[in-house]
Amino acid sequence: MSAEEAAVPLKKPWRLSLDSWAVVVALLAALLVRAGVFKHIPW
Amino acid sequence: MADAVVIPQVEPVQPALRFLRLIPGVLLLAAIGYAGKLLEQNVGKYAKAHHWVFPNIEYVLWAILLGLLISNTVGVPEIFRTGVATYEFWLKAGIVLLGSRFLLGDILKLGGVSLLLVAIEIVGAIAFMTLLGRLFKLKPKLTTLLAVGSAVCGVSAIIATKGAIDADDEDSSFSIAAILALGALALFTFPLIGHYLHLWDRAYGIWAGLAVDNTAEATAAGALYSDAAGKLAVLVKSTRNAMIGFVVLAYAIYWASQGQAKAVGNKAAFLWQKFPKFVLGFILISVLATYQFFSKDQVGSLANLSRWAFLLTFAGVGLRTNFRDMRKQGLRPFAVGAIGEIVIAVFTLGLVVGAEKLFGF
Repeated sequence: MSAEEAAVPLKKPWRLSLDSWAVVVALLAALLVRAGVFKHIPW
Repeated sequence: MADAVVIPQVEPVQPALRFLRLIPGVLLLAAIGYAGKLLEQNVGKYAKAHHWVFPNIEYVLWAILLGLLISNTVGVPEIFRTGVATYEFWLKAGIVLLGSRFLLGDILKLGGVSLLLVAIEIVGAIAFMTLLGRLFKLKPKLTTLLAVGSAVCGVSAIIATKGAIDADDEDSSFSIAAILALGALALFTFPLIGHYLHLWDRAYGIWAGLAVDNTAEATAAGALYSDAAGKLAVLVKSTRNAMIGFVVLAYAIYWASQGQAKAVGNKAAFLWQKFPKFVLGFILISVLATYQFFSKDQVGSLANLSRWAFLLTFAGVGLRTNFRDMRKQGLRPFAVGAIGEIVIAVFTLGLVVGAEKLFGF
């Protein structure tokens, strides 16, 4: 395969930032607690 | 027209493999954090049983000390490093979950006061650090990075500003090293000063949130004092973090006007890109808790989950602090940072004491 054939437009892949991942995971955990999947989390 | 690139024939790293690489380091964070918790529970009991006089050391300090011990003796082996770097992730997830312990009214009341204090702190800290940088004849962009690091939120602010003002790698590593070293010092000195001055939990928490630079260190410095102080430190520090976009934007516009950085295109998009999203998550969970989306027991569980997340963070704070690496970075930026931090700490303490009398929190 030639270099021309492999050429594609430069486009950054869309990714969630670390911040956004932390929010997603925390909200998901909160929903699981709300839904009763985790009844009690001890400390 | 879009630029065209030739894709090199490199095997992509599979997401599953990337995830697997995190596991050893995350387990190390969990092991150190849990060891800290066990030490808190057992050392005090053992000392009491043997009639020793031994201070009550909380899990926060044990976890940090164990991490520091490993990092500064045997070091952190390569296999653990990727996972250890997730401590920032746990910190932010922990802060979001901590939102469940704040009612919206508290946030509006304390957030309003802290917003005012944060605005005064940011203006005062930037002005003083800029003056100090000129006195010590530091490079202007290095001074900018140190000013942003001290005034807003430590390492994240320095990294965000570096990209926006086209600063050198060397300047940013100098600033990061100085801010990290000073954060490590603040961790141990702030609780001692707070106890010496007999500060109330609220006053101390607000002070730690205003004056300690990194979010992880501010959270730990608050938690080392008391649970209530830890909550307040997180709230005030998050308010400071929320200002990052505005400060970085102002500096980006200034350096672009000097012809030494790229011009900022869409300012709203710039602000959104720099805005710490975990602050929004924190407010959302707080709104849900305020409108009783969670039962009382569930709020307790979320608070405990937040503590577990912080446990991993505190272990990470110790593990990433290496005094030998910090010494290599040179004395002048550290001296500027240290003088700046002392003045900012005294200035913010005065602000908190004044605000306490004025607003009666």
